[in-house]
Amino acid sequence: MNDYVIETDALTKRYGRKLALDHLDLRIPRGRIHALVGANGAGKSTLFRILLGFLPPTAGSARILGRDSQRLTPEDRGRIGFVNEEHTLPGWMRVNAVTDMHRRQYPRWNEEAFRNVLGHYHVLPEQKVGQLSRGERAGFNLALALAQGPELLVLDEPTLGLDVVAKRAFLESLMYSNATDDCTVIYCSHQMEEIERVADNLVILERGRLMHMSAPDEFCARVTHWVADIPFKGPDPRSVPGLLQLQRLDGLHHYLVLDQQDDFAEFLRASGARSVQSMPVSLDRAVNGFLAKNHATPDAQRAQA
Amino acid sequence: MFDLFKAELLRFRWWAAGCVALQLVVLGFLTRVVDLAQQPLLVYRVFGAVYAAAGLLLGLYQMGGYRRPNTWLNLLHRPLAPSRIAVALLGAGAVLLAVGVLLPLLTIAGWQGGMTARVVDMRHVLLVGSAWIVSLCGYLVGAYLMLADKRQGYCAAVFLLLIVFSQATGFGAIALQLLSLAWLLAMVLVAFKPSLGTPARGAARTLVTAAPMTMTMWFALVMVGFGVEFLWIAQGSHPNNVAVPNVDGEKEIEVLDGKALFVKGLRNCTDPEAPLWREQAAIADIDGLFPGLGEAPARHQLTNIAPMEFDDPQRRVRWVFSHDTMRFQGYSLVDKRAVGALGMAGNAPFPAPVLPVGDNLLVDRSTVYQFDEDANLVLPRARLPGGEAITGYGKAGDDFVLVGERALYFYDARAFDGSDGVLEPRLRVPVPGRMGDVQRIDAMELLDGWLLSFSFARSSYNAEGTLPYQQIVRAFDDGRSVTVSRRDIARDYPDAWRYQNWYPSPVLYMVQKAAKNMLAGDMRPLPMATPPVPRTMQVLAGALMLFSLIAALWRVRRTDLSRAARIAWVLACGVLSVPALMALWAMYPERETVPDDLVAHPAMA
Repeated sequence: MNDYVIETDALTKRYGRKLALDHLDLRIPRGRIHALVGANGAGKSTLFRILLGFLPPTAGSARILGRDSQRLTPEDRGRIGFVNEEHTLPGWMRVNAVTDMHRRQYPRWNEEAFRNVLGHYHVLPEQKVGQLSRGERAGFNLALALAQGPELLVLDEPTLGLDVVAKRAFLESLMYSNATDDCTVIYCSHQMEEIERVADNLVILERGRLMHMSAPDEFCARVTHWVADIPFKGPDPRSVPGLLQLQRLDGLHHYLVLDQQDDFAEFLRASGARSVQSMPVSLDRAVNGFLAKNHATPDAQRAQA
Repeated sequence: MFDLFKAELLRFRWWAAGCVALQLVVLGFLTRVVDLAQQPLLVYRVFGAVYAAAGLLLGLYQMGGYRRPNTWLNLLHRPLAPSRIAVALLGAGAVLLAVGVLLPLLTIAGWQGGMTARVVDMRHVLLVGSAWIVSLCGYLVGAYLMLADKRQGYCAAVFLLLIVFSQATGFGAIALQLLSLAWLLAMVLVAFKPSLGTPARGAARTLVTAAPMTMTMWFALVMVGFGVEFLWIAQGSHPNNVAVPNVDGEKEIEVLDGKALFVKGLRNCTDPEAPLWREQAAIADIDGLFPGLGEAPARHQLTNIAPMEFDDPQRRVRWVFSHDTMRFQGYSLVDKRAVGALGMAGNAPFPAPVLPVGDNLLVDRSTVYQFDEDANLVLPRARLPGGEAITGYGKAGDDFVLVGERALYFYDARAFDGSDGVLEPRLRVPVPGRMGDVQRIDAMELLDGWLLSFSFARSSYNAEGTLPYQQIVRAFDDGRSVTVSRRDIARDYPDAWRYQNWYPSPVLYMVQKAAKNMLAGDMRPLPMATPPVPRTMQVLAGALMLFSLIAALWRVRRTDLSRAARIAWVLACGVLSVPALMALWAMYPERETVPDDLVAHPAMA
């Protein structure tokens, strides 16, 4: 059995004059829940579409469960569950009809897992899918995906557009389901509180490239927040090592930096700081700072900066 | 798979029910006011267009709903082969169209056959089946339009064009429609794959999609010609639309009266009697004989050239020809009750379907019949020898003239009223050319026979027929006939225009002609004397083939095609010329590369 559920080698996808994936080398090991994080346009959806064989790569290769993604067989597809943010299920069908269809199509159907997950929602078998609320549809979709007994479950922003209650129900049904025990989950989301709750591994994509992969705590440890009291202008931002974000609040300089140790305090003091203080950051702040670093800005704004 | 099929039926069940209800109302109304089984061809074409459009809309809507990226992924990402999913969806579409189209039509046909005295033959049941097949073809065209890449999805419509322009008849028409349906199904199955935008791979799949695409490109070039012609007409110098036609040109042949045409035709005649004929032409009555009948009805023909019925005003009976019994079946115009059958010379079946043409005359492929109102009999009155086809008829002086495929046959018109036997022609005049080329025939009576002007100019404008000319034949009463004059008619169109459909691809030009006439039986167009292609046009066609080959060589190197596919495409472009090159260009975009200067996001902070 292959140790990686997903392997890409120099995977590249071009859309016109843009690269959605830029020579991406990614290896996601089997087991656990892996969070895939990236700003809009980071290439996450493109990556999934290539991995599932719905889009050809421009260059490079992609393998999923050990199989070339462009040559997936129906049996391979039966081993890969996929839930997208739209929860596209046939709205004209009744819940029991959709369930019956999946039950017959998937040989490893797990009825208990299906009932466990759906138990979190007030979904009636005779209801039409089109009549379900967005949260109920998301839960129903998750129940179907988990009951298929997949080896790999890809959740592409599954809680997008859900209210707080529905989000919590979705996460709980995912976390407390035994069906995830034997399956690798790729969880793609912009919601860091969700990532913090569910993910064992954090993968950050940016501009089609792999920027980081580790446990979420390890990533948080890489990012530190420094507050410096600098009476004057402060150092040129371009000279600040590992700078992710700079803010000036109430006369204090707030630096969010990556991979800086205690010697960063020396740098600040050498730049005129009268007092320096460091503090840990939440995953949300760390990821946002990391992703905001290279966010595009209009040329005029850049010139002013 | 069955679950998907069932789900799809469920999805459209109310639409299908609505379609049934609407059709029953519309067809029920129409069948009360007209006999739907005896309508002219145009009416059936309108019905066919409506059913094809209904199928097209279903295909567009059904597949359009699935084509959105996430929905498509959700549909195909399951442990079922895409082809099985496609069969489930398409099977449901076929059943829905069977319910929506076939069921109401069969209901109406069944009502008409069982509850009225009107004729419902096997061919009408075939016609109903044909409506379903046409709607299925439209459905698959819609599905392919949605699923295939936008650069080539439209090419599926070429099969609808084939069905419209085909000369196939009866079972042949059904076979052609089924063939089109099978090809369209193959095209949709090829397009039904996870990665929708990518071109088909493999020889068979490529052939299935590239052949109609190439043919469509040829048709697109024909349409460009039409577009140019519209501009030409609008500009005002098109030979067909100038105020005064070109002197001695093709258009002039159409508009001149018979007298002037004879004078022109005899202008260079060296016969000693020519001056006298020219004088006579200016004052004599000239009779026009046009080969206007076209083709005769064929047995089990799905549609009618014209309604195959005539009324007996004396008895208030309408006689409708039945292809099944090969007799006329009558019903009373008073109470609509059946009044029995009317066969040939009593109750014998007719050897071929008979078309009433007015004046109590009826014609089949080579025989003219006459309905005797007093005796209530249909009798054969004139029969062309050797099964020669009748292409027209008319009166010339006191004679009744049958225009055959190879000759004109003159009968004494008075004999039609004074006897009831099969008449023998008193004069046979061979046509000095091919009947398919004949634009018009004019006849001037002489003391001892006829002077006949044959104008051969019907299809010279598109180079399908002979180069235009007029030939004048003198026919003597003793049966002799001699050509007394011949003049070449000036061509209104240059060769580059006349051969505009040929030189872009001589091979595809032949293919489309063969496809149109495939399974046509006796419905083939009349033969024409197609002239050899001029050398300049041959050179032009050769140059275009060479250009296509070289351009294909350049293009294939910029695509992802395999080596074998590249060779096949280059050869195809060399043989099939410009349309194949256009298809290659449309079907295979340039290979995606990753230049060094390309960045993920051009505007970065």
